[in-house]
Amino acid sequence: MIRVHELAKRHGAQEVLRGITLSVEKGDVAVIIGPSGGGKSTFLRCLNGLERFDEGRVEIDGTTLLPHMERGLEARAHRAVRSRVGMVFQQFHLFPHLSVLENIIEAPLHVAHKPPDEARARALALLERVGLSSKAHTRPGVLSGGEQQRVAIARALAMDPQVILFDEPTSSLDPRMTGEVLAVMSDLAAEGLTMVVVTHAMAFARKAATHVHVFHEGRVLESGPPGQVLEAPREAVTREFLKLSAV
Amino acid sequence: MPIEARFAQGPWEKLPDLLSTGRIDVVLDGYEWMPERARLMRASLPYYIYELQLLARSDTPGVERGWNWLMAEPRKKIGVLGGSAAERWLAEHCTKAELVSYDGVTNAMGDVVLGRVDATLQDLPIAITYARDFPALRATGELVGPGRYVAYVRRADEDFGAAIDRAILALRANGTLESIFKRYGCWTKAQQDPVLLALPAAGAEDGPEPAFLARYGPRLLEAAGMTVLLSIAAFPLAIALGILVALGRRYGPRWLAWPLGLYVEVLRGTPLMLQLFVIFYVLPSAGIRLDAFFAAVLGLAVNYSAYEAEIYRAGLQAVPAGQMEAALALGMSRGLALRRIVLPQAVRIVIPATTNDFIALFKDTSVCSVITVVELTKRYNIAAMSHPADVLPLAVLAGVLYLAMSWPLALLSARLERRLHA
Repeated sequence: MIRVHELAKRHGAQEVLRGITLSVEKGDVAVIIGPSGGGKSTFLRCLNGLERFDEGRVEIDGTTLLPHMERGLEARAHRAVRSRVGMVFQQFHLFPHLSVLENIIEAPLHVAHKPPDEARARALALLERVGLSSKAHTRPGVLSGGEQQRVAIARALAMDPQVILFDEPTSSLDPRMTGEVLAVMSDLAAEGLTMVVVTHAMAFARKAATHVHVFHEGRVLESGPPGQVLEAPREAVTREFLKLSAV
Repeated sequence: MPIEARFAQGPWEKLPDLLSTGRIDVVLDGYEWMPERARLMRASLPYYIYELQLLARSDTPGVERGWNWLMAEPRKKIGVLGGSAAERWLAEHCTKAELVSYDGVTNAMGDVVLGRVDATLQDLPIAITYARDFPALRATGELVGPGRYVAYVRRADEDFGAAIDRAILALRANGTLESIFKRYGCWTKAQQDPVLLALPAAGAEDGPEPAFLARYGPRLLEAAGMTVLLSIAAFPLAIALGILVALGRRYGPRWLAWPLGLYVEVLRGTPLMLQLFVIFYVLPSAGIRLDAFFAAVLGLAVNYSAYEAEIYRAGLQAVPAGQMEAALALGMSRGLALRRIVLPQAVRIVIPATTNDFIALFKDTSVCSVITVVELTKRYNIAAMSHPADVLPLAVLAGVLYLAMSWPLALLSARLERRLHA
């Protein structure tokens, strides 16, 4: 599903990613953890073309992203990737001028060109699934953070993506709201949705991950099933990080 | 007369106001004797008897037939100086022609050369003086509408007025006036017409004048309609242009940034009046000849587009970058994301600023009178010119009309703002 080969990215002299090779198979829940500044979010944003990179290759479901692509080619590749990859942001980024329902049907109507009735029915079903049926016609601005993030998840799901990227989805939420959002994400994982999740929520990693990748200073420090990486880490940096996260 | 003259500059049609407020002591600038003026100011004896000369392009077919040509089909457009005797004479004697009112005599002559109007009717001395500047024009038809050029002083300065009368009589008697007028080629037979050389009585009104509102209301309302029309035609254009410029500066290719920046700075840094002049009087020399209304709409739209571009640039910047990213991540193209997600939010942000600008543009339509568009301010000027006694109520009426139009606009925008931010 996702194959990343020797991905490298620089911001001027600073090397943000220094050769990342990583695969995600269909049905995997890949959780990326690690100290801040390790390149986790940048890596995630390279997967759907929100960030350009300098070396290496990203392959998603048959579409290849390369550094320095010709503009037209790049735009086409980005669109192909984004039609299959959903994204959920730390700051939700719901569209404030649209109602909750309109947020969800915006892309199905104007990108996927689905019939309005079908898009609405699907959006209402998704709202039901994230527990927000009653909020269909409110503006996102009046919702709590946890509710907004659940709407954002429904918005991503509405495009029927093959994989959803979660960029620190609970980092701006309090513990109760974090629980609401993680519960929805766990359900999705249990249903077999392919997910790549950058998070500090170790409980979610333990419960839902199929693979855990530890990022440190632009490299993958270690990878493996959660039972191995979280319970018996090989690297000292991982042990230190897990000790701090547990506090 | 043992008097030293100091010349003072003022807009020609406003000279009586300058006189009444004491900023000048005598109006002596080709002012005709008119009963309305003679009731307000003390007129001297005439120092010159003017007549009106028709001017047209010498290559116009049939122009040598003079007034017969002018009266024949198709309907002709005649340029005149706003508030002048020529304007009044034509309105009375030549209802078949369409009058276009100008701020300056040379602009009217220039537009005859350009073909925007078919002819112009000018006071003879002016027709003679400017003839060498407009070689494409020729005089045609007999002189019409004789009248008296007089000096005006304040009614209170009767002694001063009487002294001017004595001086004029002396200059007539010793031939000084004749020799001056002969030197400039405008000595006519009319200068010796005893009826014209005396002053008619300025006493009673010509008849019962209709009530104030009935007299001015309909024409001012019609002119207010033009003001509204100019505003609602120009402002959407200004916004559309402004959005394009703002989008080009923020999202366009890099090479586009500085020409667009220059566009904004040039338009913001030069006066609207100058821009209108360029569009109306200079563009024709490049082969682009616009009707006055379209030139006015274009001028207002282009001028205000620079301000709208800046407002929208700020508005676009105020939309968080995450909005664009979220839209892109959903598979939208940049264009679609701008149109559906970013611009609608920018529009909400800039509504208070654009409303402000709309009211400003609404009032700036008055500048369009310099390119012969008759809107509310121009109509007020024309009415005030021919009925100087009514200046104050006219000004109040024009102001009330402006307010009556702009106030609802402000209310409407406040409501719109509340609804969009709800």
